[in-house]
Parts: sequence; structure tokens; C-alpha cells
Amino acid sequence: MMGTTALTTLAGTATVPQFISLATKDVFKLAPAIALFPLASFFISLFLGKRMPKGGALAGIAATIASLALSVWLVIELAIGGGTYQETLYTFVGGASDSAVVEHTGVELTFGLLIDPLAALMLVIVSLISLLVHLFSLGYMNDEGETGLPRYYAGLGLFTFSMLAFVYSDNLLMAFVFFELVGVCSYLLIGFWFREDAPPSAAKKAFLITRFGDYFFLIGVVAIFATFGTTAFAGENSFVTMAADGLNPDVAAEGIDTPGVSEDTWFTVLGLLVLGGVVGKSAQFPLHTWLPDAMEGPTPVSALIHAATMVAAGVYLVARMYGFFALLPTVLAVIALIGGFTALFAATMALVKQELKQVLAYSTISQYGYMMLALGGGGYVAGVFHLTTHAIFKALLFLGAGSVIIAMHHNENMWEMGGLKDRMPVTYATFLAGSLALAGIFPFAGFWSKDEVLFETLAHGLGGSPILLIAYGFGALAVVLTGLYTFRMVFLTFHGEPRTDTAEDPETVGWSVKLPLVVLGVLSVVGGVLNMGVLKDIIGESNLFLHEWLDGATMDTDLGALSASHYSEVLEADYGAGYEVTDLSPLGPGVVALVFAVVGVGAAWYLYSGADPEPKMTRLGRVRTVLLRNYYQDEYQAWLATGLTLPFSRIADKFDRGLIDGIVNGIGTVSMVVGRQFRQIQTGVVTNYAALLAFSLLLLLFAFGFVGGWF
Amino acid sequence: MIVEAVLAVTLTGALLVAVGPDRYAAKLATVVSVLPLAGSLWMWTEYAGEGNALLESGEVAFQTTVEWLTLGQYTLQWYVGVDGISLPLLVLTTVLTTLALVSSWTPIDERQSQFYGLMLLLETALIGVFVSLDFFLWFVFWEGVLIPMYFLIAVWGGPRRKYAAIKFLVYTNIASLIMFAGLFALIFGLGDSITTLSLPEITQAVLADELGSFAGLEPDTLKMFAFFLLFLGFAVKVPLVPFHTWLPDAHVEAPTPVSVMLAGVLLKMGTYALLRFNFTMLPDVAADYALLIAAFGVVSVIYGAVLALAQRDMKRIVAYSSISSMGYVIIGLIAYTPHGLGGATFQMISHGLISGLLFMTVGVIYNATHTRMVGDMSGLANRMPWTVGIFITGAFGYMGLPLMSGFAAEVLVFIGAFQTSVVPAAPLLTALSMFGIVIVAGYLLWAMQQTLFGSFELETDYEIGPAPIHDVASIGVLLGLVVLLGVAPDLIYETIQDGVNPLVDFAGAALTGGA
Amino acid sequence: MTVSVEWYLLLSAAVFCVGLFGILVRQNALMFLMSVELMLNAGNINLVAFALYWGNLTGQVFALFLIGIAAAEVAVGLGIILVLNRNFDDIDVTEATTMRW
Repeated sequence: MMGTTALTTLAGTATVPQFISLATKDVFKLAPAIALFPLASFFISLFLGKRMPKGGALAGIAATIASLALSVWLVIELAIGGGTYQETLYTFVGGASDSAVVEHTGVELTFGLLIDPLAALMLVIVSLISLLVHLFSLGYMNDEGETGLPRYYAGLGLFTFSMLAFVYSDNLLMAFVFFELVGVCSYLLIGFWFREDAPPSAAKKAFLITRFGDYFFLIGVVAIFATFGTTAFAGENSFVTMAADGLNPDVAAEGIDTPGVSEDTWFTVLGLLVLGGVVGKSAQFPLHTWLPDAMEGPTPVSALIHAATMVAAGVYLVARMYGFFALLPTVLAVIALIGGFTALFAATMALVKQELKQVLAYSTISQYGYMMLALGGGGYVAGVFHLTTHAIFKALLFLGAGSVIIAMHHNENMWEMGGLKDRMPVTYATFLAGSLALAGIFPFAGFWSKDEVLFETLAHGLGGSPILLIAYGFGALAVVLTGLYTFRMVFLTFHGEPRTDTAEDPETVGWSVKLPLVVLGVLSVVGGVLNMGVLKDIIGESNLFLHEWLDGATMDTDLGALSASHYSEVLEADYGAGYEVTDLSPLGPGVVALVFAVVGVGAAWYLYSGADPEPKMTRLGRVRTVLLRNYYQDEYQAWLATGLTLPFSRIADKFDRGLIDGIVNGIGTVSMVVGRQFRQIQTGVVTNYAALLAFSLLLLLFAFGFVGGWF
Repeated sequence: MIVEAVLAVTLTGALLVAVGPDRYAAKLATVVSVLPLAGSLWMWTEYAGEGNALLESGEVAFQTTVEWLTLGQYTLQWYVGVDGISLPLLVLTTVLTTLALVSSWTPIDERQSQFYGLMLLLETALIGVFVSLDFFLWFVFWEGVLIPMYFLIAVWGGPRRKYAAIKFLVYTNIASLIMFAGLFALIFGLGDSITTLSLPEITQAVLADELGSFAGLEPDTLKMFAFFLLFLGFAVKVPLVPFHTWLPDAHVEAPTPVSVMLAGVLLKMGTYALLRFNFTMLPDVAADYALLIAAFGVVSVIYGAVLALAQRDMKRIVAYSSISSMGYVIIGLIAYTPHGLGGATFQMISHGLISGLLFMTVGVIYNATHTRMVGDMSGLANRMPWTVGIFITGAFGYMGLPLMSGFAAEVLVFIGAFQTSVVPAAPLLTALSMFGIVIVAGYLLWAMQQTLFGSFELETDYEIGPAPIHDVASIGVLLGLVVLLGVAPDLIYETIQDGVNPLVDFAGAALTGGA
Repeated sequence: MTVSVEWYLLLSAAVFCVGLFGILVRQNALMFLMSVELMLNAGNINLVAFALYWGNLTGQVFALFLIGIAAAEVAVGLGIILVLNRNFDDIDVTEATTMRW
């Protein structure tokens, strides 16, 4: 509300040399531009794209490079001593001097900037992947001679803008604003090939289903605003802090307005409402059905939006307001259960898909399930870690798939590929790195993060939360399936003999395709270094870089309520979730998970590694059909829309036109009929009129006479 | 005198255009309409009023009072002026009229001088409604709106234009009669305590409890009676379910520019009057029946949206969704919170712009394709890229996409309605009404998918190309305004707050015990 | 000798009834017109009689007005009858029934 809050004053403490303080100031002042660069590229691409070389791609690339550079600079500044930074950028409502709004409600609705380690990390991820996707698009879209490129790059620009702004939002309202904008960009990009039938339909579905989730989210935003009078994420007056104070019996809380129910019940309701948006956006069961359909969009879009960033928005939101969720054991349990179940559920469906991108789509759903599992299970760092590594290796896999799709002339059926390993070595090598990461094989990035997810859940589960153990069971089982479907995909696509002519002689791909693959491939291999939690006992806790980073330990300043250790405190507090951690070495569960993953990979090798693999999943019989049809999730949701709502609306329409309008028309008709009857006395014969007159006169005379008492 | 000048210029313009030759009518009317637009914008910049015009503390801007004639104890006045509630609506009227006139260039090709004359006459009456502060004067303008509207629908409308026009006229006229009776119940109840029919005087007298009994009714009964007559009268105009059936017919039959005025401004007359009369004069009755009124709002939101799902005619879709959107206004008004009343007024402006935008865009498409039926065509995006682009953006605006005015309005209404203590179970009712944002996405996305995307299909014996530049420009301007207000709602929200706040202070405090 | 006012009223009523009877049973427009004149004159008689009774000239003045109006009315009536004749080839009032709904 007042520009820079107390948090920022921590940034410039005396221990920090003067020049760093100045530099800090500069980069924080520039921080809003991280999102504004892509916004500029949106306008440039949209209006000038036609006249620019590459259809506006260069504007997008320049903008994302600038965003990436600034984000990295932010990370560095944070690391060398800048604290968290919060600034109100724009007052949405109530910004005028002596505003009548503020005078009356005492609150402004503002948009602001909150830079902390979590946001800075995410800014880097988003801008990096966006940059790589822009580059990749040069090969995927431009070189393939697509039309409508300005629209495409404008969409990417707008998306990157919305996502980055979402990431550095300092309050829930702003987060909702950009959350929704991200959804619209997704709609525009999924429906990019609007001349065909499927993409617009998929776009509609994606928007509608996420909208359904956002409906709950919006209620949550409004309710949180009504309850706390603020939606700020951080600071003394944030709803997170107020909620903690409200539940903490040791602290006197003020200004919390619950509608007649106890505070913890009401906060649980609020948490579940916000969770609705998360479930929709992060494609968790039961609102996951839009994501596989969204693969109708161009593959770079799938990589950017439906794997690495937009879908991450939901999970990121949970992490962003983790201080709030950590207070609510019921909500955490729901998050963990949804996450664990989704991880397993989506993995089973990925087993039988024939299209490359479909496998990846279900794998995405499954992996976001892991992140939810981690956050619900009390593993804040684990969730963020998996978010980070997944963003990298899933973007890699999608871009790799894009490369294969270029090579295969847009044929995505894996059964018509095979043997691509020798014909596109770069793609193969990087794709393999991504697959190993996804399957969770040592020492690739996914191994570390997934193990940590499972470990944290197990540790908290053994501490007396049986629900977490169930969720852990789901997650562990899904590891096997992940290994299986991932390597089924790898073997079918790259190994064996080519099964079609196109696979025999695939189209070559250019540097703009290979460069992003290589960058992401390298990161997938080494990304785990960030947080080698499994080896915690060996390398020491201070070498878990991500943990230290999110805890603010690498910084000069105290992160306070935004630090990972604060979250653990809240999780374990009596007024919070009340989790307990068992003293468990991460090594054992790590080995178990690795064994599970290897079992899955081995099964895939056993089933599909031959020169000419057979479809093995057909042996599942009717189970396979159920899996292929996605457990009939689409059917029932489509039925809800077209089989229930639509007929209901038709009945309502009939009711409206028949009954309500019928009454209106009926009144009109009655008046007309009565009029028609009455006009019959107008015979047109003057004599009749005269008779009527005379008769009426007599009648009147009698009437008056009667009343006057003459008779 | 600026108000009189605006009215006079518009009326004179209307007459000039009406008697002038058809050839110049379109351009002349558009040029004439720029004058009231400029006038209202000037008023906007010079506005120095404060508070609510009807309440004691209010300072009315651009006020003129001239005694006109005396009827018994009552002096009728020419009494005009604007406050923070009416000024935005006034600007909305002038802006939409100009744009609607531009959008008439293509579709209106017969009896042009009469058409444009009537449009300007309609504008005169609408401006009059928003600036009048004397009941008698206000009523003259209120009824005056019906005359041009009737002819505009009945002469230039579609195949069932006569039915639609007469339905509109009779329905709203009966409503006016009921409303008239309601207000006169109050006036007679006030007896000797008022000497004019000026709205501030009536309001302040009613609020000061000077109501006596009339026709055997005790003051409290009289208030309730008056409230419901007024509510019924205005509910037709808004329109609230179940008094809405004139609207889809009128919209479907009316030519595009008339639909724009109908959805954009005429519906706001109903909510404006509700705010001015029911909710300002009789807040205690409103609070007593808050649940019922809020239920009307919620039912309108959901029912209107559900009906929109079942429609194939794009104009009918927008018409039913207007019913839905106006439901939010009611929910906001009854909340009696700053954001509730302010958001509701903001929603009036926002819906005026967005529904105008959608009707215009549907009109532009209709001009090219001669059909509005979803299912008759597909793939329009191939032929009219900019129009379709604006349509999509506008449709997202209608769904309440952030950074467009609909979102700002709806969020403010929701916040206001959620925390009210006037309505029982407010959070639940608000949450229920918010489901409208899902349904609205459903039917708009469905309609867009069917008509705009896919391969181009439409049987015509002529080529369909991009829309004329002036059509695209007018919807582009409207879209710009929608985005502008969505990004910076403060532009008008401050003024609106200034107008509704005294009401919150006065009524809200009394109703909620200072909460 | 003065005739008491009741007799005038009786006369007037009688003349009025004759006129009314004419209107009710006659079909010829001319007879109609005549009947109307009779009724008007019944009114005249009343006016004059009461003027005499009250010793006030207003009634007589009004009678004069009425006579004037009656003349005008006859002129209009005859005009209508001429038109009637032209359109229907007849002046039977029961025939001319086109002026209804």
C-alpha cells in the first residue's frame, strides 16, 4: 500500500556495502520491465509483425533475452545481498489523491512487485524457456512456412508477459488477473490453427475447464479480500500473516471478518476455494482433461505453456501462498491426495497412448501431481525443486518431440516411427537425457527432485499423517509407470527399425531447433546439483543449494515469513498443519524410488526394445480400452456440458418462451379477444347507437333515482 | 447552461436531420452527435460536483432550476444537473450514440433521414433522463425514450418488428404506469411537506420521515407499497427475470445500432432509476426485502446465462447475457457497500460498452453474411480477421477477462456484495451468482468456435471480405474504451464512488448499524 | 292567465319522445335529421320555459345559440346525407355500416 513495505527496508542494512545497495536499487527498479519487455513484443509482433523479418519472432526473442538477463541479474542481486523486495507498481482502484474509494473502504486494489528467491527463480525459468521456445519456433513455425506468424509471436509475447507478471505478483488479486490472462493466451495459442476443427474445440475446452477452476479461485480471492481486507502475499499486513495470527492463540489478531464460522473452518474453505483454480490450471484430477486436448496447439506452445510454465502457475500459486496453506491440515491433505492420485492416474493413461505428444501430455499431468503431492506433504522445497527440474526436462521433451514431428512431417504416431536415433542424433541424445530425467534415473535432474518429493511426503506421513502415506503410495507406484511409459516412448520413437518411409528418411532440422535442445539437455543432466537431497547426510545440509536459496540462507537478509524454514515451522506448529517429521535418512527411500524407476525402465526395455516391437499393451484387453478412453473422463465431462447443461438450458428456453413469455403474450391475447368481443356492439347502424344511448340514459335515470330514494 | 445546450443541440440536430435529404442524413447526424459528445466530455473534465445529487450533502454540477408551472400545491420545475452517478452514464450515452450512428452507415439504407433523426431524438431523451432532477421533467424524458425507440424497431426492424415493437412499447409503458403510481403514492403520502416534485426534495422528505398516511395506508405500508410499485416498474426496464421477455424480441428485431442503444443505454435507465428511487429514497424497505431483491439478481444472472446457452441467434445470445449482466448490478446495489453500489454503477457503464461492442460486431458480421445464426456459417476468421479479432477480445471482455472493464466491474460488485451485512447469506448468494462467469464463457466460446473458426463455409452468391474501415474503427474505439476502463477503472470509479458514498454513509450506516 | 311550467315540460318531453321514437324506428336519413331537430327543439322549449319561470334571460339566449347550432348541424347533416347518397345510392342509415371496427 505504501510503496515499499517494511520488507524492503531490510534490504539496505548496514552490513551491505553502499555500492551493492545502489545496484540493488537499480535492478529492483528495473524489475517490472521483466514482464513489460514481452508485452512490448506482443504489440510489436501484432501490429508490425507482417513487415518484420521472421514475422515478429525477433521482437519476441529480443524481449525474452532482455527478460532473462534481468531475471538472472535479479537472482545475482538477491544472492549477493538484496533482500526480498516489494513495491506497489500501480493502483488499480483507489489510486487518486484523496481518493473517495480509499476514504470509504480504507483499501486500494493494487498491482505490485514481490521479488523473493521463489519469484526470482521462477522468473528465470519462465524467461529462459520462453526464449528457447521462441528460438525453437523459428525452426518449427517459420521454416515450415506457417501463416499467421505475427499472431503466433504476439500470442507468445502476451503469454510470457502474463506469466512473468503472475510470477512477481505481490497480491492474490493481481495473481488472479494474470492467471486468467495466461488462460486466455493459452486459448489463443491452442487455437492457433483455427482453420481446422480440432484446435478451436480444444482451446474452448481448455479455457472452459480452467475457467471452472477459476470460478472457485475468484470466489476465494473475493472471500480473502472480504475476510482480511487485503490480498497481499507478504508483509505484516498480508493475509498470510493475518491468517497465521488469527489461528495462533498466542497472538492477538485483528481485522479478520469471518462470516459466522470459526476461523480455521473458514480459512479451510478459503484454501479449498483457491485450490479450485490450482486444480484447473495445473490440470489435476478431475479438471485435467483439457491438457491432453491442448496438444492440438503448435508443439512449441505445448512446451512453453502446457508443460513448463502455464500449468506451473497453479503449483506456483500454492508455493507462493504456502504460508497460508501450511496453516490448514485439511487443505494440505486434499492437495497431497489430489496430487498423489493424479500422478498415478495420469501415468496409467500415458501407458497406452500412441501419439508422442499425448504420452508427454499425460506425463505432464502426472508430474504436476508430484509437485502437488510434495506441497501437500509438507515438502515446500521439494515441490519447487520438482517444478524447476520438470520445467526444464519437460520443455526439453516437448521440444524434442517437436523436432521429431518436424522430421516426421507432422505425423505423431509412435508406431509409425522407429529408428530415428541414428538419423537425428542430437535430438535423440537430448531426448534421452530428458527421458532419463523424467523417469527419475540417477543422476539426472528428475531423480533428485522426485526422490525429494517422495521422501518429504514419506517423512511427514510417518510422522503421523496416514493420508500422506496413502498419497505416498500413489506416488511411489507412479514411479514405476513413469519409467515404463517414458521408455516405451523412447524405444518406439528412436529405437528399432524404421516402420515407415518417413521414418526412414526424416526431414532434417536446423540449428534453431537443436540449440534449445542442447541447452535444455545439458540442464537436464546437471540440474540435480541444485538440491541433492538424497545425499543430504553425505554432502551436508548447507550444500542443498535450492533449500538454502529458498530459505534465504544465501542472502544477507532474513526472508522472514517467506523462508522455507518458516514454512516448516508453521507446518509443525500446533496452530498450523501440525505435521511431525520422523527422523528418516533420505538415502533409503531414495534407493527404493530409484529401484522402482529402474524396474519401470527395465519393463519398457523388455517389452519394446526389439528391432520391431509389437504392441504389448493390447494384452491388457478391456483395461486398455478404458485407459485409451481416459477412464471416460472426457465423456462424462462432455456429458455434463452437452448432455446435462445444454438440454437443461433448452428446457429453460422452452419454459421461458412457453410459460413466461406465454403469460405475457397471453395477457396480450386476452386483451385482444375481449376487445374483439366488445367491439361487436359497434354495429355501424346509427339506430342501434341511439337505442343504446336512450337505454343507457334510462338506466342511469333509474340508477340515480334508486340511489336518490325516489322509489 | 451546458446541459441545456447539449439537449438543445441534439434536439435541433434531430429535427434538422429528419427534414434534410437522405443523402446527407448519415454523415450529418454523426457530425451533429459529436457536439453532445464534446459537451459531455467537457462536462467530464470540468465536473466539480460532490456527493449524491439527491441527498442533502450533495452538490449538483451544471445545475439549472427554472420554475415552470404550478399545479395545486406543486411547482413543476425545469431542474437539471449531474452528479457522480449520472455523469458517467451521460458520457456513455453520447459516446455510444456517436458510435452507433457510425455503425448505421452500412446497414441502414432506407428512410435514412427519419432513422438518423429518430436516433438523435432518442439521444436527446436519454440525456434528459440522466440529467433531470425534477420528477415531472424526468418522467417526460423517460416516456420520451419510448417514442423514437418504438419507431426505430417498428420501421427498420426485422421480420417480426411490429410484434417486437408493440411488445416493447406496451410492456415498458405499463411498467411506467405502475412506477408512476408508486412515486405518486409517495408524493401524496408526503402531503404538504413538499412543494415541488424535485427529486432531491422528495428524497429528503421521505428520508426525514415526513411521510404521512395516504388512502388509509400507514406510512410504513405506504413505503413498502411504493417501493414495490417502483421496483416492479423499473424491473421491467432492467430487465429482471421474469419481466424480461420483451428484451430478446426487441433485440432480435431491432437493427444493430438500435440494439446497441437498447442494450447499452436503455437497460441502464432501469438500474439508474432503481438506484435513484428505490435504493436512495427507501433504503429501509430495500434492506427489509434484501434477500428477495438479491434473489431476483441471482436468478437473473443464472437464468439469463442458462437461456443464452440455448440460443442460436447471436443477437439473442447477447440479449440474454445482458439480462445476466444486469443481474450483477442488482446484486451490487442491494449490498449497500461502497464497492457494491460503486461496482454496480461501474458495471452499468462497463456493460453498456461491452454489450454495445458485441452487438456492433455481430452487426458488422451480419452486414457481410446476412445471417446471425450460429451454425449457418463457420470460419469467418478467414475472411474478416480484424473484426473477428475484436469480436474475440470483446467476448473475452464479456466473460470478465481481467484488464477489461467487465472484470473490474464484476470484481468490485463481488467484493461489495460478499461483505455486505444487509443481505442475509451474502457470501453464498454472491458465490452462486458468480457461477454466471462460467456459463457466459460456455456460450460465448461455443458460439465463437462455431462461427469464427474452422474452414470458411457460408453459402452466398457474393464474396465476403473484410468489413468497411469505419465499422472496424467504431468497434475498435469501443474495444479501446473497454480495455482502458479495465486497466484504469479509477478513471470513472472515483467519480462514481463520490456519488454513491453519501448513500453508503447515510443508508448503509443506518441499515447495518454502522458496520 | 299563466300556464304553469309543468305543461311546458310535458310538451318538451313529448316532443323529445317523438324525436327519440323517430330515431329509433326510422331508416331514412332525412327523417333522422328531422327527429334530431325535434329533440333539439324539445331542449329549446325547456330552456325558454325555465327562463320564463326564473325570470332570467340566460335560458332564452342559450335557446338562440341552440337554434344557431341546430342550423349548422342541419347543414352538416345534409352534407353527410348527400355523401351518403353518393356512396350508397341510398339514404337508408341501416345500410351504411362500414364505419365499424
